[in-house]
Amino acid sequence: MPISRQLLRPAGVGFIFCSFIVAILINLLPWQATAMNFSPDFVALLIIYWALNQPRRVGVACAFFLGVLMDVANGNILGQHALAYSIIAYLALVRQRQLAIFPFWQQALIACALLLLSQAIMVCIRSIMGEPFVGWGYFAGSLFAAFLWPPFSNLMLMYQRKDAPDEL
Amino acid sequence: MQANQPAFFKQGPKPLTRVLIFSALSLALIFGDANYQWLGLARDKLSLALYPLQWLATTPINAVIEGGDFLQQQAQLVSENKALNNDKLAAKGMAMRLQALEIENANLRSLSIARESTPRRSQLTKILYNSRDPFAAKLVLDKGQQNQISAGQIVLDASGVVGQIVRVQPLTSEVRLLSDRNHMVPVIVARNQLRTVVYGTGRHAPLEVRNMAQNVDVQVGDQLLTSGIDSIYPAGLPVARVTRVERTTGNAFARIYSEPLAKIDQHRYFLILDAPTAPPPYPTEASAPKAKTK
Repeated sequence: MPISRQLLRPAGVGFIFCSFIVAILINLLPWQATAMNFSPDFVALLIIYWALNQPRRVGVACAFFLGVLMDVANGNILGQHALAYSIIAYLALVRQRQLAIFPFWQQALIACALLLLSQAIMVCIRSIMGEPFVGWGYFAGSLFAAFLWPPFSNLMLMYQRKDAPDEL
Repeated sequence: MQANQPAFFKQGPKPLTRVLIFSALSLALIFGDANYQWLGLARDKLSLALYPLQWLATTPINAVIEGGDFLQQQAQLVSENKALNNDKLAAKGMAMRLQALEIENANLRSLSIARESTPRRSQLTKILYNSRDPFAAKLVLDKGQQNQISAGQIVLDASGVVGQIVRVQPLTSEVRLLSDRNHMVPVIVARNQLRTVVYGTGRHAPLEVRNMAQNVDVQVGDQLLTSGIDSIYPAGLPVARVTRVERTTGNAFARIYSEPLAKIDQHRYFLILDAPTAPPPYPTEASAPKAKTK
């Protein structure tokens, strides 16, 4: 969230939990395999978003467990997503104080880099396991995510930006 | 000093410590899963927890598709019904001939030593979703251990073999498609009974028949059927059709590409064949009487 004068309502645990459920749902949609290269990994995107905005609630542990869930859902090697997600969550957390006040377009670049890194980690793991390289198109989703970041952040903030009651 | 800190400042271990712990844990998971398959039980439990989400992700879309089917035009249904009736008549005629042939075949088999290949029972199943993993050609089906599905069963559609079940969870199961890399199916060429093996080369890539000599008798359009030699795939199921044969001088082998006959991308229902009966044990000693020595 870039610097602004507006006071935000707190994001509750319930809201964060629901957002992750929705992200997993989107990742499980049946058309994912056809649009695969162009649809970013929404769970990873959301992990970065919450690590930047709610660093005390969403961290490495949360990313790890979501990663294990994604591994089971996709039926690939257990631990592949878990490793990638924990590392990107860590990198987002290390510079959180700095990144959180960047304008959205700069955050988008960071998010894109982190998503690319997570995919690179997965490619490394799979190639160690002896799978062939899947082609550069695999990374297109992360680049697409960079364009998605500003509208996505605004959407997520819509709930928090609602005016607080005037009791204060 | 530590004791006087307000709760707000206590954040537990540092992010670096945490990431080291969880990376080590993930690496252990990867190692354990890849080498020892220890984690089957954990995977089963997690998949059970995920099932409501999987159901939720696929059901609305299926409902829309089925709603569209419901609103189909009357005329289309009538013409389809007519066509189906005609097909049924033709099929009945074929079935009568088939019965006669089956009896004849049974007689012939009882004459020979060949074991009777009983037709296997099968179950209808639906695709739940297509795995997001781009490294492997896999599908997730909506039947699992609860429906007595087990790994190794064969998945078919109306026109050919789709693949093989590789992992079963309580409510879902994963199919490895024919096109998955290095998935092998022993086949025969229908035209001349040439025995060979067809390999998958990756999602949406053609299947390949490897290590066949330059002058091998395979032509474009030849149909490949399962040979039944591995005792996993029953004999005689259509697998693929040869689409391209390259015989370049300088290569030791001909390059033969083929296309799966099953229309994997076009419909949502498949058949799962029941597990094969155990093959007779491999003969350990020569069964023929030893040649007499002087």
